[in-house]
Amino acid sequence: MRKLILRHNQAWASLKKKPGFILTVLLTMGITLGALLCVVTLNYLLLVEPLPYPEQDRLFVAEHKLIGPEKETKAIAFTYPGLVHLYKSKEAFEKASIMAYSQDVIVSHPSQPLVNTAYVTPELHQILASPMAMGRMFEASEAMDTNNPVAMLSYNTWKKEFSGSADILEQKINLSGISYRIIGVLAENFVEAELDGIGRETQVWMPWDYNQTGERGRQSFGNISGTLNFLGQLKEGVSQSQAQQLLSPLVSDRWQEGVIEMDFFKGWSVVMLVTPVKEVMLGDSESIAVMLLAGVMGLVLIACANISNLFMARTAEKQRQMAIQAAIGATKKHLFQAMLAETGLLMFMSIILALVLAQIGFFVMQEHFEQILPRVNELSFNPITFGSAVLVTVVFALFFAKLSTWMVDYRSLNTTLQSSGKGSGLQVSKKVRQVLIASQVALATVLVFANFSLLKDAVKTINAPIGFTTTNISTLVLNFASTDFPTQEERLPIMAEIKEKLEALPQVESISQSPSPLDGWGVRALTDVVSKERYTPFLNGVSHTYFGMIKQPLVQGDNFTLVDRQDRNNVMIVNQSFAKQLKADGDVIGMKISVGGPDPFKIIGIVKDIAIPNATPTGSDNADAGVPRVYTPNGLGSQRFMVKVKPGMSVSREQLGKLLSDVDSRYSVYSFDAADDILTKSLFVEITTAVTTAVLASLVFLLAGIGLYGILSYGTQLRRFELGARMAIGATRKHLVSMIISDNTKAVLIGFVGSVVLFALAYIGLSEYIQPFLNWQVLPMIVATIVLIMLVTLFACYWPLRQYINKPAIFSLRGSD
Amino acid sequence: MTEIKIEMKSISKIFETDDVETHALKDVDIVIRAGEYVSIAGPSGCGKSTLLSLLGLLDMSSSGSYSIEGVDVSALSLDDAAAIRNEKIGFVFQSFNLIDELSVFDNVALPLQYKKELPTDEFIKERVETCLKMVEMSHRADHKPNQLSGGQQQRIAIARALVADPAILLVDEPTGNLDSQSGDTVMAVLAELNKNGTTICMVTHDARYADMANIQLRLLDGQIVKDEPLMVAV
Ligand SMILES: Nc1ncnc2c1ncn2[C@@H]1O[C@H](COP(=O)(O)OP(=O)(O)O)[C@@H](O)[C@H]1O
Ligand SMILES: [Mg+2]
Repeated sequence: MRKLILRHNQAWASLKKKPGFILTVLLTMGITLGALLCVVTLNYLLLVEPLPYPEQDRLFVAEHKLIGPEKETKAIAFTYPGLVHLYKSKEAFEKASIMAYSQDVIVSHPSQPLVNTAYVTPELHQILASPMAMGRMFEASEAMDTNNPVAMLSYNTWKKEFSGSADILEQKINLSGISYRIIGVLAENFVEAELDGIGRETQVWMPWDYNQTGERGRQSFGNISGTLNFLGQLKEGVSQSQAQQLLSPLVSDRWQEGVIEMDFFKGWSVVMLVTPVKEVMLGDSESIAVMLLAGVMGLVLIACANISNLFMARTAEKQRQMAIQAAIGATKKHLFQAMLAETGLLMFMSIILALVLAQIGFFVMQEHFEQILPRVNELSFNPITFGSAVLVTVVFALFFAKLSTWMVDYRSLNTTLQSSGKGSGLQVSKKVRQVLIASQVALATVLVFANFSLLKDAVKTINAPIGFTTTNISTLVLNFASTDFPTQEERLPIMAEIKEKLEALPQVESISQSPSPLDGWGVRALTDVVSKERYTPFLNGVSHTYFGMIKQPLVQGDNFTLVDRQDRNNVMIVNQSFAKQLKADGDVIGMKISVGGPDPFKIIGIVKDIAIPNATPTGSDNADAGVPRVYTPNGLGSQRFMVKVKPGMSVSREQLGKLLSDVDSRYSVYSFDAADDILTKSLFVEITTAVTTAVLASLVFLLAGIGLYGILSYGTQLRRFELGARMAIGATRKHLVSMIISDNTKAVLIGFVGSVVLFALAYIGLSEYIQPFLNWQVLPMIVATIVLIMLVTLFACYWPLRQYINKPAIFSLRGSD
Repeated sequence: MTEIKIEMKSISKIFETDDVETHALKDVDIVIRAGEYVSIAGPSGCGKSTLLSLLGLLDMSSSGSYSIEGVDVSALSLDDAAAIRNEKIGFVFQSFNLIDELSVFDNVALPLQYKKELPTDEFIKERVETCLKMVEMSHRADHKPNQLSGGQQQRIAIARALVADPAILLVDEPTGNLDSQSGDTVMAVLAELNKNGTTICMVTHDARYADMANIQLRLLDGQIVKDEPLMVAV
């Protein structure tokens, strides 16, 4: 024990003289191992760690899949009565719950915040065994058809919106004109089963009865909604496929009965999909996690190569000291132990830094990746993190110590002493150096290229022209906080007054009583009156000023008029993609399209396509396909407005809230968002990917740069006397620069070849991921990667050399005598 | 009068390190004519190596003028100095400074490779073989330097210094790293070369070897103290 302490004291004393060395090792290993621990913990959480629910192996999500006449998937979403039917049937599931997700404004709250809501049956929180911070969860008293207005809050909402008030259970909140008594607050460690999108946290929970589906929707088997969900615990002994077989006919028969009178659905059918809840929650985040892991592994390898260089250089430097130790009786084992004390110390410091950085990483991921990765809220240190940390520390300390002593030929240490430490002695052999350069280049090439490819795709989506303007435009959606809805008739004067008052605001340039192109879309079933062909494009009801305000060009035909809206004329404008679907030549003006009602709509105009990021046609996920869209004139009672403000000006939510309540106290602001913000939000995944890959690429590049620089400058340092000798016999600077470059070129070329081999291996293993990347577009990437790596190499060749060749030759030769 | 190979006039060299100025050389005048064998002796630290590195254009003087074969070389750029070294000067170091990775042949051929105009392969082969013969090392052309003894390495270094047919051979303590027997052989080679017309300037603190030169200079504290020709060069 005393020996051990002594060894470490000596190691520390020897290291202390090299602060630059310590700092480089610490930063390189600290950062990369921090990233490694972070990503390992994430992977463990996503791939291995069970969900914090009892009987989670039996928890499944049921989904309703509509199949068209050609057996193609039309949509995966429930109809309201279909869902209720499934819930009531109690087939296959021991316990089941249904949920409807939405958003609403807490109008009773002073700041009238828009919150995420969920309307659920009481079984949900029983199945999840949700921990409560306060009060109780929903019970039989809140079961379906009890109409009991109570609510539960999420922990964050309680803290944030109600400043954690202790008497929260005596408070009531009002949403859409209904006053709910708060009966419980969920605990901080409650993990929501996020089925409606990663990172969507439900802030207010209410009983199922209060969900916002209208009376007609509750009856209609012809309407589907993506916000309806089913989660249940399968009966003991019932398998996933058995459940599917059991439920499909049950649901399909009822649905067929429900749509029997709707021609549109002729030939359609329904099957039930039953999926483990974990799979639904994780989505395709598994592949993100694995890719992150692969990327970080690459970083660790590069870092490892860098640090190997450093340790070898250090051993070379210490050879004389080692020779003296050997001369006075140190055995090979002693030398190894001394080295291990050093590497162990360094790795210990690095892992401490890594743990700190991993903690910061968790925090950053929780702040920024909530929308991309599920379960990030659960990220924290666990035995796996610490286990990996210990393992990594031990393995790397042993590896670096072994590597360093492996270089030392113990038997020749004596000769080192005799040769008086002149130029040639213990050195990292040229071959080892070349292998290191080649592996650095190979790894860096692969990683930089992979990051470039991801970055390019993300940037392409971010920069893709959207086909309309968002500048200075915001969308205002009204909230109606009462249960006695006004009729369309009653609404007209109110909306007219609101519109007038909005237009009168000094900051406002113009108003369009219309949803924004970024929201309000619904999928509609349409039929060509003549051919009876059926289509499912996106549909939006818009004002006659809509296309003008967002500058979406009309390419053929006419725009809507105010009269079209007043008289609710059956006219329709389609975009070019839908026109092409309807008729190959796209000449569709005058065609009659049925939307289900008795009178068909007439197409009067064609507009250019718009490209909303990540929007794909229904039933397809081809991002490059044009999305068919249809526009009809909306009524003058529409409660959505686009507000275009004058350049440099803005309107606040509060100001609008006041304006609305002055007109009619039942109205408040539901949402008021700048179109640019909505757009940015919809590009969140791409922007995050772009930032992450850009950061990773730069990090890889930096590490590879440091590594190449390290090994090349060490190589140059070793050749100092040789350079001097060459200068003495007349080599010019040009001779020497080109000599160093050509000497290293071979290794760099081998590195490039190595990267091709790595790619080939990756291709064999992961061809399905890589295949889509393989086209001529990767050529510029390859060129860019190679050029970048070569630039770094050239720099790393020249920079260490300049200190020798830009001085008189004697400088390099001095000390050789 | 024989041709003047080298002429230094009031050359000084001052090293400045950490606010300390070292006057390594003070007002040194040297003239070396074709065919002469000059030795420079003196105690350690008197400036011998400094003088030799200035003669060899490995370093620049602080003041004074210097010409080689009548061409002023006092103020050359780094690359011009390299060209002159390549063309006019053969340098032999105390520590040989051979390149380990190259064969004996390639080491000797190296100066030819740095010529402005690259000679033909035949010329290089012939010239290298001639020079190796002069130092009696032809039989080791394919060896690597570290496979040879110190004396042999120094003879290779001499061959390398000769290969580009320089105006003068500058030799710094050629026997410093050698045992006396090898040292004698190397000195014999140098004497033989001089007999055949090579101009040599050699630094040594071994009086025995200094005596072999026909002009003996003594350097003391950076100044020449004695400049007495013992014999007139033939
Ligand atoms: N690069 C240098 N920087 C500072 N002082 C130097 C340098 N090179 C040589 N000197 C000093 O110049 C003097 C002459 O050195 P040197 O020519 O090597 O002597 P010698 O070869 O005769 O032993 C010595 O005092 C030495 O310390
Ligand atoms: Mg000396």
